[in-house]
Amino acid sequence: MRVQGLRVQGFFITLSLLSACASYIPVNEQPAPVERSEPDVIVAPAVVGPPMPGARRPAASEPLSAPSASAPRQDPSPATAASTLLASVDAAIAAGDLERAAAVSERALRINPRDAMVWYRLASIRYQQQHYADARGLATRALSHAGPDTTLRLQINDLLARLNSL
Amino acid sequence: MTDQDVTRVNSRLSWRRRSGWALGLSLAIVLVWLVWIDYQVRRDFAALQWALPARIYARPAELYTGAHLSATELTDYLQRLGYRQVDAVAGPGEYQTQGQTLRLQTRGFQFWDGSEPGVYAQVAFNGSRIGSVRAAPVADAGDRLDSAFDGELPLVRLEPVEIAQINPDTGEDRLPVTLAQVPESLVHAIIAVEDQRFYQHWGIDPKGILRALWVNLRRGEVAQGGSTLTQQLVKNLYLTQDRTLARKIEEAVMALALELHFSKDEILAAYLNEVFLGQDGNRAIHGFTLAAQFYFARPLAELSLAELALLAGLPRGASFYNPRRNTERALSRRNTVLLSMFDQGYISEAEYDTARLAELRTSTQPARRNRAYPAFMDLVRLDLARDYDAQALRSEGLRIFTTLDLRVQEAMDAVLEQAVAAVEMPSDNGAPLQAAMVITDSNAGEVRALAGSRRPGAVGFNRALDAMRPIGSLVKPAVYLAALESGNYSLASVLSDRPVELMTDDGQRWAPRNYDDQMFGDVYLHEALERSLNLATVDLGIKIGVDTVVDMLTKLGHSRPIPEYLSLLLGAVDMAPLEVARFYQTLASNGFHSPLRSVEAVTTGQGARLQRYGFETEQVADATSVFLLEQALQNVFERGTARMVAGSLADNLPLAGKTGTTNDFRDSWFAGYGDDLTGVVWLGHDDNRSTGLTGSTGALRVWTAVMKQLDIQPRQTRAPEDVVWGEVPAQAAVLPTAEDCRDTRLLPFRAGELPVAVTECLSNNSLLERVFDQIRSLNQ
Repeated sequence: MRVQGLRVQGFFITLSLLSACASYIPVNEQPAPVERSEPDVIVAPAVVGPPMPGARRPAASEPLSAPSASAPRQDPSPATAASTLLASVDAAIAAGDLERAAAVSERALRINPRDAMVWYRLASIRYQQQHYADARGLATRALSHAGPDTTLRLQINDLLARLNSL
Repeated sequence: MTDQDVTRVNSRLSWRRRSGWALGLSLAIVLVWLVWIDYQVRRDFAALQWALPARIYARPAELYTGAHLSATELTDYLQRLGYRQVDAVAGPGEYQTQGQTLRLQTRGFQFWDGSEPGVYAQVAFNGSRIGSVRAAPVADAGDRLDSAFDGELPLVRLEPVEIAQINPDTGEDRLPVTLAQVPESLVHAIIAVEDQRFYQHWGIDPKGILRALWVNLRRGEVAQGGSTLTQQLVKNLYLTQDRTLARKIEEAVMALALELHFSKDEILAAYLNEVFLGQDGNRAIHGFTLAAQFYFARPLAELSLAELALLAGLPRGASFYNPRRNTERALSRRNTVLLSMFDQGYISEAEYDTARLAELRTSTQPARRNRAYPAFMDLVRLDLARDYDAQALRSEGLRIFTTLDLRVQEAMDAVLEQAVAAVEMPSDNGAPLQAAMVITDSNAGEVRALAGSRRPGAVGFNRALDAMRPIGSLVKPAVYLAALESGNYSLASVLSDRPVELMTDDGQRWAPRNYDDQMFGDVYLHEALERSLNLATVDLGIKIGVDTVVDMLTKLGHSRPIPEYLSLLLGAVDMAPLEVARFYQTLASNGFHSPLRSVEAVTTGQGARLQRYGFETEQVADATSVFLLEQALQNVFERGTARMVAGSLADNLPLAGKTGTTNDFRDSWFAGYGDDLTGVVWLGHDDNRSTGLTGSTGALRVWTAVMKQLDIQPRQTRAPEDVVWGEVPAQAAVLPTAEDCRDTRLLPFRAGELPVAVTECLSNNSLLERVFDQIRSLNQ
């Protein structure tokens, strides 16, 4: 039976990871036995939970803005939707309509709520509007989704530092 | 001359003088009256402003690759927007389907964040999701080959569906437009049938009256009216519907005054917007733009000649010629209008013949605008009341963009009542089991759907907002989260699930019990939550302090005071389902609290932005603690109190959730969340009778039925960086032995907080041994 086969295989990989890492298992290195009734079109942004055998989720490790090699086969077009919206955010900022920029960022977040970059953009817009309490919450949220993206983390931390120095 | 003669002459003179005076006086009065009418007409017409209802919109559907929208769902949505299914798309508001693809030409819409252009697009589906969206130029839209759709369209936002409105006191509803926005054929039709000499007369038209008489006599029916459009407008705007001579004179004078000061186009535009064309409950349909929406569910610009002619026939008697109720009469009136148009050369014979034979296809009567989604609308009204007074909402024509997701609300409405009936215990007094459900998004606190009763669309007591009921075990995540946040507890902390007897502050003895009176002795913290063990929870709660739990509930979003009783630990706190949703939504967004919102933006009738309610988010709980808590809440489905639905949700797990049951089975609760949605279900009786249901046997099943229908998305929470995984003995023990370590379970911990059970098992080096054991057992 195919499912069972995958599970057993996944189990072995998990076990080898277990013995290799003993007490620390980086979750992003989870094996990728994907078994789901339908292909997952939205790129899975992150990995959940314990590295259990038989996990059904793909092991993509990056948010939509940077689809990784392990993303499902489909054209990762949500990124295009996201990039289109980010372009509108830029246009709105250029036109001086910060509230519109915020609205468009939120539209992007509805499509991909884990995109740390968009949360950060929204935080920056609120900062520019001098809505500092909102900016702080949003920047913290951005940081919680930033994962290992060090450049973005630096940017977010910089914004938070500016907010804290107010 | 005798005295008598003198008197007679004098009296004749004084009679003449008196009648002269009287005449002068009457003339003066008439003059003043004319001036007054003239002044009034000028003043009122120049400042003509209708009280316009606020229009409420659902969240617009977005089309992009991967969007969670099936072909059926999109078709339903388009039909609600009044799109017509055709064989080949030739204009806005039309779509065609072909297997797993759908072509459509959108209308475009002025949103609060800019205008969305109309596009001609081809959408391909992949099961319940959109596979791709491709574009073709709108200009030469028509039947075309697949290859024409070569441009990738990253994102298309459809027009939002109007779900409700807040009507002016007059009950009048209209969508005022300028003359330029009205199709020429409609103007021709109206002029042909109501007032042929509109562009020639001065407001009244004696010739017209005679001709109307003649035409009507000849045809043996009232085909044409004698009063001009100007007179009709005056009557509608300023006068009552009395048919006395005095009224007729006043109407004529006002019509003349109107023509004196205003252009024909201004008068015509006012007429097109003012005239009464139908009744929808207590909402009066005025003006042709709204009539097009009301009878055909489409904009005026999309209507055919036959449909425009039908509307043009309605001013004569909107109820008498109602196309939905009196189809035959409406058809014959339409054809009368078409004949007049042909007679007067507005249309060719071919056009006349085609239109005359066209089938009459009105849309199905829309749900009453003031009755749709009443539970959600209650919330919208509450939210709006913070910034808008009732008068502004009833008169200024505001557009209100809500967070309601029609896909979610419709799916819930379709499933809820049946699901409640399926779990309901037979009742002796007939009052059915009641229900409330709240669904929000899992990320930013937007309310997606609301049910205030088991019956969709029921008005009255809104249980989602107003039924304050004890939440039972739904409170437990707050207890466990407070413990995890304290840094003194992990998922593998050992709690005591043994009987206790406590003294409350007011000197009462309190001896809590487990649901099934079983006790488990030493249990792990995560198990106690998964299996909802009361005694272990009380043990934990007393250690961390009830005040800590109160603080946690407040941080998670509960805004009312909470009494600090011991019984709070088991859920002796009253909340409305919406308040529970607020609390669980914070857990779903990994410890970030966002106030729940039902309104996203408010604009003027023309689309200018007035107010926007944006994302707000504040971290209220440490991400690692929330992550650890979620492991236990996911296990509720895997092996806890929600395990019986794990099979039917197999494609959707992992999900997180918690059951809740109150004393004597009065309330059955379930709150749970996936990656996209958070839902809360309450079941109970309005008179607080027992339901006979636990959270698992009642609310959980209803929740599952709805969420399965919605294909709730699995949780994909990223583990915070300081999370490590460790194996603990499967059976909780304060000091595990090597024997305990033979059977283990993997759990996440905060780095540096590995409990003794993990280090014990690691130190006696049993791990590798166990690996081989398990491989052996698998190969057998």
